[in-house]
Amino acid sequence: MGTDILTGIAEVAREHLGWEGPLTGDMRLVEDLRLDSVRLLTLAAEVENRFHVVLSEGDEAAIVTVGDLVETVRRKLG
Amino acid sequence: MAETVNDYLLRAGRLPDGGLRFIDRAETATWVGWAEVRERALAAAGGLLALGVGRGDHVALVFPTGCEFFAAFFGALLAGAVPVPLYPPVRLGRLREYVARTARMLAACDARVVLADARVKRFLGEAVAAARPRLGCKTLADLPPAAAAAGSAGWGPAAPRPDELALIQFSSGTTVAPKAVALSHRAVVAQTEILSSCWSDRDGLRHSCASWLPLYHDMGLLGCVFPALARDATLTLLAPELFVARPALWLRAIGRYGATISPAPNFGYSLCLTRVADADMEGVDLSCWRAALNGAEPVAPSVLRAFAARFARWGLSPAALTPVYGLSEAALAVTFSALDQPCRSRWYDREALADERVARRLAPGAAGVAGAGRDARDAGDEGAAGATGPEGGREIASVGRPLPGFRLSVRDALGRELPPGRVGRLWVNGPSLMQGYLGDPEGTARAVRDGWLDTGDLGFIDDGELYLTGRAKDLIILRGRNHSPAEIEQAVDAVAGVRTGCAVAVSWLPDGAPGEMLGLFVERSRRAAAAELAALPDACREAVLAATGLAIDRLEVLPPGTLPRTSSGKLRRSEALRLYLEGGLTPPAPVTPLRLARAVARSGLGYARWRLARRREGIP
Repeated sequence: MGTDILTGIAEVAREHLGWEGPLTGDMRLVEDLRLDSVRLLTLAAEVENRFHVVLSEGDEAAIVTVGDLVETVRRKLG
Repeated sequence: MAETVNDYLLRAGRLPDGGLRFIDRAETATWVGWAEVRERALAAAGGLLALGVGRGDHVALVFPTGCEFFAAFFGALLAGAVPVPLYPPVRLGRLREYVARTARMLAACDARVVLADARVKRFLGEAVAAARPRLGCKTLADLPPAAAAAGSAGWGPAAPRPDELALIQFSSGTTVAPKAVALSHRAVVAQTEILSSCWSDRDGLRHSCASWLPLYHDMGLLGCVFPALARDATLTLLAPELFVARPALWLRAIGRYGATISPAPNFGYSLCLTRVADADMEGVDLSCWRAALNGAEPVAPSVLRAFAARFARWGLSPAALTPVYGLSEAALAVTFSALDQPCRSRWYDREALADERVARRLAPGAAGVAGAGRDARDAGDEGAAGATGPEGGREIASVGRPLPGFRLSVRDALGRELPPGRVGRLWVNGPSLMQGYLGDPEGTARAVRDGWLDTGDLGFIDDGELYLTGRAKDLIILRGRNHSPAEIEQAVDAVAGVRTGCAVAVSWLPDGAPGEMLGLFVERSRRAAAAELAALPDACREAVLAATGLAIDRLEVLPPGTLPRTSSGKLRRSEALRLYLEGGLTPPAPVTPLRLARAVARSGLGYARWRLARRREGIP
């Protein structure tokens, strides 16, 4: 399921953030994807919409990389 | 006649439609009338008093948009304390930086207690531990019961004097050089009355406001909350993070609840253009929207035009778009453009503005080749030429005329008033100026002189209307929020290969652009290795993003000594920007004895010093 989630997040990144390159789990949201605060918000909201999950501040505090985001969504979909 | 914000709250709640409507992500509305807001605030006030909060104490507030913010904010006021709204963490944001910033702001505002949302409180531990407010960090539920306040005798809501503080707001600078604007009840009430008078209910029209603006932001709090409270009217609120993720929810809320007033910075209008799909707008009617106020950052005429053109289909009136000007130091609004007419933009000779500091109007060029050209005629005035305009022209939107009680004065560097049409520093005088910057008497003395506020903004008056051309002050404005350049510059100090302390951050509105751009000019170190230099641009961008959440639009890596400095060696930010825009940000020529001699010989004193120094060093 992790791959499906990564694919879904990659689609969100392409559609809403204009990210054209490949997306891998070890990429960091801020440093590697170059997401500023508005784009981080957009990513969080669009990931929630796509997977029908709600991320809490507690979940988000630990998210640094794309892989962390995948893992959080996976846990939510449990 | 109300004299304090407390008076407004104690009187509100008599009209059935007076209150707050919160919209959540599912677009469900929760209604809380002003009377209930008051009850909750009274409970919070009793709790604060029982906790030991005293008159005039500063109470920091960290809440997302929601009813708890209002209970805490007005609770602090009813307890006789001074609320200081701070911003909650950003989603997926870097928590470590957020905590460091918040700790700095808590210390700068001298908070006696921090009130926070239960979820936010969990993150504030370190910030609170670092700033050590005397009474710690509490949620509203943590407060002791109000009954414990003032013993058995009970207590009454505080009745502050009009000259006591009603509010402290951070205008810019959080980690470095925080600027906390202190506003008295008198100033807030004066501003509230002015704004309320702009939309008095008549001819069966009952004005109401909708806003997604953060409640720690002047346009959200002073511009939306207090006028709604004073008029005992409705305020429909969305959380800012909800707007950023789904901007259509803002427009849909305006239509659904018939909001007549809704403000946003230029960024908000621009975001709607890129992120609202036609499908999101199905069935939305924006014809109710009378005042789409646009302020808090420079207004881009291209965005105004495109927004008017795009949303006309859904009933948006071209007269609705209303560029305005204000700043925290004036408790918000200073000028408004006409509420019932299309906004005006004009073309001026760019070089005359920059070099002669004179506003020379140009005739608009051939009408619109740009996409929104035809519709621009509805939205613009003389500026109907679309985005291209006459050659050498710069299009500037009018931000209108001073509000009642305000006066404008455009002055030269020595403080002498300039005639209309001349570009200079904008000074304002009016009934709602700040008491000062908290804990910064020198900064206050520089900003306010003889009842006049030096805004640090540059502009000119044409036909009685104000046009802004830039800023003389060192301030970055992005998406309606102010940032201190020092925060951005310090973020790159530790980057390998950067010459420490030799970076300049600036922002400006390029012609035709949808918003301000952020530029960072850094000098490389003389000792930087080739590998460090290669990695330098990326490393700088990452460092700034991580520390501030801001993305750099233009990055220039410069040889040492390129940035302009004052005689005392301080970097000159606005001069660096001017040079950059003119393509003149170039490294200094190599220093040879002959060149040096010529340079210093230009000043007699410099030459004498130079001779003296040479003699001391034994050089003939």
